[in-house]
Amino acid sequence: MEDNFARPTALSGEPIDMPGLLSGAHHPGAGAVVLFSGEVRDNNLGREVAYLEYEAYEPLAVSLIAEILATAKQRWSLHTAIAQHRTGRVDIGDTAVVVITASAHRGEAYAANKYIVDRIKHEAPIWKCEHYADGAHQWGNNCNCHAVTGDISKHIYEHNQ
Amino acid sequence: MKIHVYAALKDYFQPEFEVDELVRNTDELKAHLLTINDKAGDILSSCRFAVEEGFIDNAFNLNQHATIVIIPPSSGG
Repeated sequence: MEDNFARPTALSGEPIDMPGLLSGAHHPGAGAVVLFSGEVRDNNLGREVAYLEYEAYEPLAVSLIAEILATAKQRWSLHTAIAQHRTGRVDIGDTAVVVITASAHRGEAYAANKYIVDRIKHEAPIWKCEHYADGAHQWGNNCNCHAVTGDISKHIYEHNQ
Repeated sequence: MKIHVYAALKDYFQPEFEVDELVRNTDELKAHLLTINDKAGDILSSCRFAVEEGFIDNAFNLNQHATIVIIPPSSGG
């Protein structure tokens, strides 16, 4: 059986079909499948959050996520690498981003999953707007690595720490 | 040239607008944008620029007929 890289779309304006994505992630050569679901919580920095809204520069986000998945596949010899990020309104408890990796052993699947999530959060042109319970809203939690690296294209990744 | 901005930049500029003045590179474009809204300096200093779905730097010669996308720092996930 060939490696499983039939990819769903990288961006979705509809709720993410987690069971569907997971069912397509299995591979006979993979002894480990790791699924990360980034979900919307009801608070941030002491404020009650009503929902999030995601916006993306779609052409670049799609191509960048494809590059990230291809790099992870090669680096960790993955059988499966899937990532899908929401756009539009995402309610509390719903999934904003899902990443699934499958490899022969769990170490590679865990490491690759973290790498993919990390790079998407730092690099993909996707933005969240927090809408609060009091009716206010704020674009927030932007990557601020440039304040440390001095270069807007250089990031500090958790997977390197 | 046409300018498209996203996310927090929309608090400072219209989502889409045109620049008729001659700007040859991203530094000159940033300087021009500050004449439109001088409060945008901090966020513009952290933005990347893209043309035809690829990132560009200040060495890139801007075409007056191009569409420039201004990309704030990511906040996905």
